Amino acid sequence: MRRLLALLSLLPATLAAQQAGHIAFEQFTLPNGLRVIYSEDHSTPIVSVDMWYEVGSRNERPGRSGFAHLFEHMMFEGSAHVKKSEHAQLIERAGGNYNGSTAEDRTNYWETVPSNRLNLALWLEADRMRSLAITEDKFENQRQAVKEERRLRVDNQPYAAAFTDGLTWPFDSTSCFPYAHTVIGSMADLDSAAAPDVQAFFDTYYAPNNATLVVVGDFNQSELRRLVNQYFAGVPSHPAPEAPRCESNIAAAKGPVRREVHDAQANLDLVMRLYRIPEHRHADTPALEILNIILGQGESSRLNVSVVRHDKAALGTGTVMNPYGSRNGPGVFAVYGIVNQGVSSDRLDSLLSTQLDTIRANGIAAAELEKAKNAVRAGFISNRETTLGTAEELHHYKTFHDSIDEINTDLDKMLAVTSDDVKRVAATYLTPANLTLLIVRAGPGGAQ
Amino acid sequence: MTARRSDGLRVGLFVLTVLCVPVLHLSAQDSFPSRPPVAEKLHPVRFPPFQQVALPNGMTLLLVENHEQPTLALSLSFRAGSIYDPAGKEGVADFVADLLTKGTPTRDAEQIASTIEGAGGSIGASAGGDFLTISTDGLSDHADLAFTLLGDVTRRATYPREELELTRTRSLSSLDVELSQAGNVAARAFQKELFGRNPYGRSTSAASYKAITRDDVVGFAQRRLRPSGALLVVAGDITLARARELATRAFGTWTGAAPAATAFPAAPTKRSTDILLVNRPGSVQSNIVIGNTTFLPTDSTYYPARIATQVLGGGSDSRLFTILREQKSWTYGSYAGLRRNRGLGYWQATFEGRTEVTDSALVELLHQIDRVRTETIPDSELNAAKGFLVGSFPLTIETPSQIAQVVSTARLLGLGSNYVQTYRDRLSAVTPTRARSAAQRTIRRDNLTIVVVGDAKSLYDKLKPIAAVRIVDIEGNRIDPAQLNPTGGPVAFDKSQIVARSDSFQALVQGQVFGAQTGAITVTGDSISYTESTTIGPFQQQSTVVLNSDLSPRHTDQTSTVQGQHAEIHLTYSDGRVKGTSQTPRPGSTVKSITVDTTIAVGTIDDNTLPLLVPALPLAVGKTFNLNVFSSGEGTTKVVTVKVAGLETVQVPAGNLPSYRLEIAGMQLPVVMHVTQQTPRRLVRIAPTGAPIVFELVK
Repeated sequence: MRRLLALLSLLPATLAAQQAGHIAFEQFTLPNGLRVIYSEDHSTPIVSVDMWYEVGSRNERPGRSGFAHLFEHMMFEGSAHVKKSEHAQLIERAGGNYNGSTAEDRTNYWETVPSNRLNLALWLEADRMRSLAITEDKFENQRQAVKEERRLRVDNQPYAAAFTDGLTWPFDSTSCFPYAHTVIGSMADLDSAAAPDVQAFFDTYYAPNNATLVVVGDFNQSELRRLVNQYFAGVPSHPAPEAPRCESNIAAAKGPVRREVHDAQANLDLVMRLYRIPEHRHADTPALEILNIILGQGESSRLNVSVVRHDKAALGTGTVMNPYGSRNGPGVFAVYGIVNQGVSSDRLDSLLSTQLDTIRANGIAAAELEKAKNAVRAGFISNRETTLGTAEELHHYKTFHDSIDEINTDLDKMLAVTSDDVKRVAATYLTPANLTLLIVRAGPGGAQ
Repeated sequence: MTARRSDGLRVGLFVLTVLCVPVLHLSAQDSFPSRPPVAEKLHPVRFPPFQQVALPNGMTLLLVENHEQPTLALSLSFRAGSIYDPAGKEGVADFVADLLTKGTPTRDAEQIASTIEGAGGSIGASAGGDFLTISTDGLSDHADLAFTLLGDVTRRATYPREELELTRTRSLSSLDVELSQAGNVAARAFQKELFGRNPYGRSTSAASYKAITRDDVVGFAQRRLRPSGALLVVAGDITLARARELATRAFGTWTGAAPAATAFPAAPTKRSTDILLVNRPGSVQSNIVIGNTTFLPTDSTYYPARIATQVLGGGSDSRLFTILREQKSWTYGSYAGLRRNRGLGYWQATFEGRTEVTDSALVELLHQIDRVRTETIPDSELNAAKGFLVGSFPLTIETPSQIAQVVSTARLLGLGSNYVQTYRDRLSAVTPTRARSAAQRTIRRDNLTIVVVGDAKSLYDKLKPIAAVRIVDIEGNRIDPAQLNPTGGPVAFDKSQIVARSDSFQALVQGQVFGAQTGAITVTGDSISYTESTTIGPFQQQSTVVLNSDLSPRHTDQTSTVQGQHAEIHLTYSDGRVKGTSQTPRPGSTVKSITVDTTIAVGTIDDNTLPLLVPALPLAVGKTFNLNVFSSGEGTTKVVTVKVAGLETVQVPAGNLPSYRLEIAGMQLPVVMHVTQQTPRRLVRIAPTGAPIVFELVK
């Protein structure tokens, strides 16, 4: 036995190579409902603390769009023991990185710090969970910052407004408001929000029983458990929030729907075909991900080879699935291209459409499938190369899969996808009835 | 965990641990620390070992060996960046980089892409200012393929003509996209201001892309891509022996001396701080870049200057971010930083924010720049900046490719063999005095380049008091400040839109019907007349305008009554003059009366004819018309701008009408007017911006 152990310790490289991207993790739950998942990795003296709250734009009510994101900003405005801007100061002075982001289904907050500052990162997350300071003043300040962010990232960037809005158009706001409005929200809704709304939002969603804490990196697990208990155990739990509702029956789709918008910032027309797809944990997701790679990822993807290179009709093309993150509700598969100078958007659209129809009718080649699977394998590894990447992966499997254990089996599921699977999902979802076609016309203002 | 436990067995720590644990457990539920916990002992950072080997052909092989994941990344760098582009052919280095992976004698572009992507990897090349780097990565079980492919494209690229044309087309289109982004426009203008004819100041243009021939591309590659002096960095799951073997197989037979040194024109000497205002009409926000050239990458001023710029604008703990974003809410971000080039570096501060606060932001930026030069940085800020720069270092070396990046940047910039090992110590040693004198040396307050990209019409007058302002358009052509205010001129109206008819409108005030308006057109052989009658509460107005058949005005007669005051306008247009009298009712005062006798430019129209003539403009989305409009009430000509902003379907009592949305500026209030797409066009809706009144077509 002893001999065997000694032998095993000589083989770390071989083991790693065999179990590429394998993540060992453990978990526990505090009495107040806070779920904690952790994974040790001592290769670099840093640690990532990553908190997800199960709230995003899909939890917003009509007239309150943009609220989840505005709230994300409020989380950096101070709490009982942390002054405004101090969160950033403390982390930066420790040499760490931090950020937060809002998607349809979740809001995340993370810090990556040198490993001797794990205590600081956990303390900061705990303080704002237990005692966020919400004042009219701070609220107004962040409302302005969010509006500025919208101007910067959406209104003043070519295609950004059309792209952001376009992702919501496949959904009907009466039957599926959660996905029929944008994450960034409307200026009018942001203007009409009031500080008491923020307090109510905090009380509903920012409770330990609606959050998961993931810690990955160079730490000692008994020290981690001790700190988590000390900082988080006293935060009271809250009644579970109401689940968002979305009725979106893809099979009963009555498209296609065509919409045309003008974009003053753009110099070239853009065509985007949007199709609804099922929730992430649906059995068709692995085949859709393979389809996504074959169609639109990389130089040798079908769209790039045919539309950009052979037909010379587009400056660039691509595909994207749920760009802000996976969903527990229906999602979007988008196929897009920016026309080359002198090419009409109708011509580009018909070329894109031909590529989709070819796969629906004939499926894909064995070599393409093999190539896509190698890309998947490389992607699985690169997603898990950093402590933060691994932390996000653990959250992903906790939130969007039936079990976190799938973090170590999902790759096999992807590698088991067949050509027939890809053809079948293309034929099921890339149908004219399920299509929302968006044409962005280059507006005035730019050089032609 | 194992290490900690064995430490605990030492007597002292063991006792401490036993005593502490129950206390901490008791405090867990009811006392949350009110102060941030203090740092634990810093875990040592062992800079991952790297090995360097000189290959016989003059290439350097640098290996960062790491077997944690079965991946491998290669990068091969040459001193072949865009500064070596021939003048007038900016973009050659980019074209070479793009075309390297687009064909060899044995593989065409698609075969190269599908070979590497089939192995879960990618290959590509890019050119920066100083260097051109070819990179490939993938799963390490395909290491052989990665080296072979890298060697093949580097040594045997064929630069096919048709691929060159494709690259050219794509580059031209990308340039369009780039020029539509304000941040890019600002960066290009800033580099040009800073470096002038020095190659770091040049940018690609449509003309330079069009001038590049295949000979330029092949010649550049032959001159600059040479094994001697090239740096091959290998990172990941491979041993030195294997890496050397594969590198030798791919590059061993390749020989060639390093390219000859090139002399470049010096960057211009600036004599004063001034502002280059790049006009981006209608931009809702402005981008500001401030800075000047600095020093060589090996200059030891780098360390204290790095600390000073970190304090000024290094992140969200810095002065610029705290003041401009957190305190003023003027911006989403404002930063400062040092940039190193192999030749000559520069520093810059940037701001991106609303048009209305641009001048205030610039004043504040300059104030903060002055502070970091003249005041000694307090210890708390100095330590915060050091804490960040020193502490964050391990975060930049998490993956093998990140380690390779850090090491190769140091090598390429010639920063010395111990740069990465001593970097943290040299930053830690910076004193407040050295930081301040480095800021004074680095930031040349009286010779700053300031670039502002934004709506020049809104900005020019506000920026003038700050420093001398030159205005240019996005292509860099000078604009006279007078040009910012548009000049009107004759417009070719589409006469077929003007037919005899009568339209009636309802006037809504805050959503309630409050009055009505009718407009009637009659067309005779040599004239067109338009009669308009309006009643809104106590206000009544009747006007008749007669136009010649070429749509030039003939005469205007208007009577109006408001709250018992009566006013009349009678104007006659002929031979380039307008004559008559004009009265304006002023409730609560006396009627204002003026005599009109003045010249008007050809093509000038009477303001009362706008409802008749605007629908007859040659409308198309995106078009803008500047009309000379004679204001009958004020007796002066104004330039009225009609912008066709888009297509919208408008719901009015007359129906749901697909319409042009026209945004009209230059009158007392901006007006949004909707006109049917169906011809002959009709007015659908008139809404002055900022006034509570709207006119809607009833029938």
